[in-house]
Amino acid sequence: MNGARWLVQALAAEGVQTLFGYPGGAIMPFYDALHGSQLTHVLVRHEQGAAFAANGYARASGRVGVCVATSGPGASNLVTGIADAMLDSVPMVVITGQVATPLMGTDAFQELDVFGMTMPIVKHSFLLRRVEDLPNVVAEAFRIARSGRPGPVLIDLPKDVQIGDASHLPAHEPATVDELPAPKDASLHAALALISQAKKPVVYGGGGIALGDAVAAFRTFVDATQIPTVLTLKGLGALPSGHALNLGMLGMHGSRAANLAVQESDLLIVVGARFDDRATGKLAEFAPNARVVHMDLDACEIGKLRHAEAAVCGDIQRTLTALTLPCAAHLHGRNGAARREWRATCQQRMREFAARYDAPGETVYAPALLKRLSELAPNAVVACDVGQHQMWVAQHWRFATPRQHLTSGALGAMGFGLPAAIGAQIQSPDAQVVCVSGDGSFLMNVQELATLRRYGLPVKIVLLDNQALGMVRQWQELFFDKRYSEVDLSDNPDFGAIAAAFGVQALHVDRAESVEDALQALLAADGPALLHVAIDQAANVWPLVPPNHNNAQMLDPERDAAASNEPTPTEDPRHAIPA
Amino acid sequence: MRYQLDLTLRQAEGALSRVLGAAERRGFRPLSVDGEAQADGDRWYLRLTVEGERDEANLQHQLEKLYDCLAVEVSPCR
Repeated sequence: MNGARWLVQALAAEGVQTLFGYPGGAIMPFYDALHGSQLTHVLVRHEQGAAFAANGYARASGRVGVCVATSGPGASNLVTGIADAMLDSVPMVVITGQVATPLMGTDAFQELDVFGMTMPIVKHSFLLRRVEDLPNVVAEAFRIARSGRPGPVLIDLPKDVQIGDASHLPAHEPATVDELPAPKDASLHAALALISQAKKPVVYGGGGIALGDAVAAFRTFVDATQIPTVLTLKGLGALPSGHALNLGMLGMHGSRAANLAVQESDLLIVVGARFDDRATGKLAEFAPNARVVHMDLDACEIGKLRHAEAAVCGDIQRTLTALTLPCAAHLHGRNGAARREWRATCQQRMREFAARYDAPGETVYAPALLKRLSELAPNAVVACDVGQHQMWVAQHWRFATPRQHLTSGALGAMGFGLPAAIGAQIQSPDAQVVCVSGDGSFLMNVQELATLRRYGLPVKIVLLDNQALGMVRQWQELFFDKRYSEVDLSDNPDFGAIAAAFGVQALHVDRAESVEDALQALLAADGPALLHVAIDQAANVWPLVPPNHNNAQMLDPERDAAASNEPTPTEDPRHAIPA
Repeated sequence: MRYQLDLTLRQAEGALSRVLGAAERRGFRPLSVDGEAQADGDRWYLRLTVEGERDEANLQHQLEKLYDCLAVEVSPCR
């Protein structure tokens, strides 16, 4: 048995069932070992698709996603998907072929130092120079990927190691995942003291809730304490969209109710979130009156951008569980009346500033379409690309759980959506998986339509086509004096014809009155299908907090116009920026 | 501010690059590096002097997260 065959058996012993990849010269022994093995390999059409598919697989399931590529360009094509996994804490093991060890450092054909290239974007990496190191490296790679704050681990595998004799190696034994550290009692007491004193508390929940398997504990905490809650992009679903205390997403494109609550709060209870700049707006003016209780597994995040008066480092689930009853006991305490008034204010704003779906005109209003689709497919897993459509999904989709929402949050990688949807569908064949994309993002990994077709994956694609790079265009409109620089995509190809060429059926809608039928037809379609949606290029994402402004300074000309019953202003919206 | 970092690292491929890279990416400029590998062991002992305006506690946490970093002590340079 050679090293490659040993590795394939080890992957199976680790519980890996599916891996995503693309073969090539330096990884050929591994692919030879795969042939006839118990592992299922999904052949993508570009290595970036493999990395994003493994990423989507991992996000949807919480399991380790595995992808494989050859050396050189195969490895470098994985880089964006690895970076995305690092920034969004996605557990992945990435296996790259490498030229044989005697050739390393000689500029050999397809030799690339992927170990060095990826050092800043992996949780850890191994360059495996000896076949004897296989057992320890494979066990450690999976342990590291899964343990604590998850992340990607790279194994660079020279060809001579793959073909080296491994018959003397012991069978692989998976390593135990590290137990999460418990929060310290003193930090819990400090948190409780602050929470009990607060009159205007807000819970600010992030992606760490799902990563820490703490969704149930989080919901129990919120329900027991009755504290109004805002969520980050990656926290969406931690509380169901319709929950009475869910004020929505905070930040640049957050809801007005969420942003105002945070800005006026006297205590932020931060749960698995990291004060990302898209969430905080102008950091120096973020929640200016609030003290902070920060709960996070990763000590690096506490105090990194905002001082925490109470830092609770450790297992979020245990932290929330420990705090729930003591905090609930203060519900009717000395600040009970103030808290009830605060909660009522927040909930009143939720009603007052609820999204409106009564946009005038005959063209398709994307927010209304997405809201309706989420009602028609309430259990769907949604994989987004990046841009305006991504924010519309975040604002208008009714998420019930966080793992329903696959989005490239921190990296913001266009091209993520379709391969991530493939990974999610492979992981859960019976699930309803929807990919929401834009005309810019979609063409970045359009080749993966071939993967959809090859494996007969019933992913439904909603392609919102405004014939522009919409988010960049919106910023050029608002902040660059409408100098539209390289955002015009009016020469887009015929997306329906493209889908058809790949053997994927396509539908089209361009009128609001036809949206319901189009969505019904899309969901009823057998196998993969694409709904091409023509939308107005002038449609923008609102609200928007301009750069270097605080989150109370939201622009929302559509709402302002509707409120004053006047046409939407088309003049320079910067003039509407509050002082 | 200048800080002295006393690190114990695994003698693993890439360990030195990871530490120096992490310090630089987190806003600290390396000023001096001194260290040696254990002759017959599996450790690197490294003393690194860096300069930066950011919170040194966060740098310490970032370095502690590195798999190859077994221990790190950060102290201000006098």
